[in-house]
Amino acid sequence: MLEIKNLKSRIGDSEILRGLSLSVNAGEVHAIMGPNGSGKSTLAQVVAGHEDYEVTGGSVTFKGQDLLQLEPEERARNGIFLGFQYPVEIPGVNNAYLLKAALNAKRKHQGIDEIDAFEFLKLAKEKMAMLGMDPKFLNRGVNEGFSGGEKKRNEILQMAMLEPELAILDETDSGLDIDALKAVAQGVNSLRGPDRAIILVTHYQRLLDYIEPDFVHVLSQGQIIKSGDKMLAHELEEKGYDWVREAANG
Amino acid sequence: MTRQSPEDLREIVGRLPTTRDEDWRYTDLSRARDITSRWLEAGAKTVAADIDEEIERITGSIDATWFVIANGELRLPGATSGISAERLDDVPAAANALAELNSALLVDGLRVRIDGAPDKPVGLLFIDGAADAATSQAHVEIEFAAGASGDVVEYHTSQGAQDHYANTIVAISVGDNANAAHLRIQSRDLRHVQTTHTTVNTGRDARFTSASFDLGGGLVRNDIVIGISNPGAEISFDGLYLAGEGQHIDNHTRVDHRVGPATSRQEYRGILNGRCRCVWNGKAIVHKGADGTDADQANHNLLLSEKAEIDAKPELEIYTDDVKCSHGTTVGQLDETSLFYLRTRGLDRQHAKQVLTHAFAAGLVSRVPIESAKSIVSELVKTRLREIIQSDEDFS
Ligand SMILES: Nc1ncnc2c1ncn2[C@@H]1O[C@H](COP(=O)(O)OP(=O)(O)OP(=O)(O)O)[C@@H](O)[C@H]1O
Ligand SMILES: [Mg+2]
Repeated sequence: MLEIKNLKSRIGDSEILRGLSLSVNAGEVHAIMGPNGSGKSTLAQVVAGHEDYEVTGGSVTFKGQDLLQLEPEERARNGIFLGFQYPVEIPGVNNAYLLKAALNAKRKHQGIDEIDAFEFLKLAKEKMAMLGMDPKFLNRGVNEGFSGGEKKRNEILQMAMLEPELAILDETDSGLDIDALKAVAQGVNSLRGPDRAIILVTHYQRLLDYIEPDFVHVLSQGQIIKSGDKMLAHELEEKGYDWVREAANG
Repeated sequence: MTRQSPEDLREIVGRLPTTRDEDWRYTDLSRARDITSRWLEAGAKTVAADIDEEIERITGSIDATWFVIANGELRLPGATSGISAERLDDVPAAANALAELNSALLVDGLRVRIDGAPDKPVGLLFIDGAADAATSQAHVEIEFAAGASGDVVEYHTSQGAQDHYANTIVAISVGDNANAAHLRIQSRDLRHVQTTHTTVNTGRDARFTSASFDLGGGLVRNDIVIGISNPGAEISFDGLYLAGEGQHIDNHTRVDHRVGPATSRQEYRGILNGRCRCVWNGKAIVHKGADGTDADQANHNLLLSEKAEIDAKPELEIYTDDVKCSHGTTVGQLDETSLFYLRTRGLDRQHAKQVLTHAFAAGLVSRVPIESAKSIVSELVKTRLREIIQSDEDFS
């Protein structure tokens, strides 16, 4: 589904991704771990199409299509969803409006009619109930004044509404209390299926107790230096990153 | 129809402000002078274009007791309740050349008095449409009687030939304990010229709440001058200007706090795209002895193009001690991070821009003090935003 080959990317003068390769198939859940500043969010943003990151080498294809040629909105409509590490507050833009506009943009792309108001509300309330969100959040500004955990839940709400084929969740677990973590995990797990893939960027094994990954990767200095199964996450939790880095360098 | 000789009129036109006047530095009225001179030379006759349909449409869009001033000529409404109205013959002595021009060429003035609490807003439709270059004048006085509570909607619009200049004077007095809500919508033809001078004077414990929307016009200059000469006034006025390619919109505001306590707050916001220029000059003068004054002014601008220009200038003059005054102006661009966030949700760039610019303006729309007109204003703002964003060649 997603093929990243030898991807190199920089912002300004600093090279951040230095030949990163990753292959994600439909039905799989991948966890990406790695020290602060190693390039995890950069990878997520490049895949989503952020223009500040210049791609200087390598390729990214999604469902066989060259992803790097597409505008961010085209990537989204094609089925990619990025849950931001730092969701953006947009005062004055109604949360329900954004959910509906996003859903309709995708439906239009698929040649489906716009969702009617009643159906939309029903769907939104259903998803919010699953995530333990008060329906009042529909009428607030997008992430406006939301707590850290509320913002993360709101990202998952958007994901749940859009049902992307590939969801990249950048530290969605950070800042969540135990109940919220479970709710978010439930949201993610309900999306799991043979046609979909999920990339979880996380620092903590804890999330992976709830969402069991098929693969765990370690990203360091812009490259994936080790991959393994879920046991790797346990090992990292115990021993940190140094041993992986040493093994990779040595 | 004019009361003065052609020479006198020419002389007045010759004295209209120029960019050498400090208050008019950024706004060049040459076109107004030119249009007026040509119209006078051609015999000062206005051949009306067909504007009846537009009158129907607008007066049908907001439920109000409509007074229509079409090409300067007044059409009184059939029925009025809680409102008395008369043609105005005794226009007060003119204070400057624009006012002189107004009284010299005025066809119909109007005086409206609001008593009690009328069940409908007073609507004032200033509409112009001429087959050839023309100039029109309007002069309206609105009086809110003591204790009255009412709404006024001003709607300024135009169509027809490419050269038109409208010069409008509106004088509002808000009596003791009266509560005045005021909405002004300006959506003139993008080639036309307009100057508007609005004065507001408030009685003891009077309230004046206003929202103004400049959505059209090629060259627009609005002056609003608010005088507080009685204690207890509460004044709040907002203004939104949306300028696209070729437009010039200048808002000069002035509040004179002559006595205290009183509060005045104003918030103007502008969204500019393409080669255009807007001016906001907000003056607040707290005169000697106006203790207990609370004056706040804010002006925020969103520039969507490198070619758009804004001149924003707050001016505070304070001659007493017991005051609270604040002002803030900002000039910014659309937040790229927000734009990207929306695009990752599938909204294309245009749509994302519309959403963000609309959000920038939304606060002012939601504060429109006349509930029944809110949805119309919201629609007009959205439509105009869509227009100015579409004509966009993106600089980001
Ligand atoms: N706009 C930018 N300008 C300069 N440097 C940047 C910019 N964005 C990211 N970087 C740098 O790129 C590197 C990778 O950042 P990135 O956010 O991808 O790390 P991360 O792995 O997500 O870290 P964390 O675990 O802390 O979230 C960091 O050193 C960061 O400072
Ligand atoms: Mg990160």
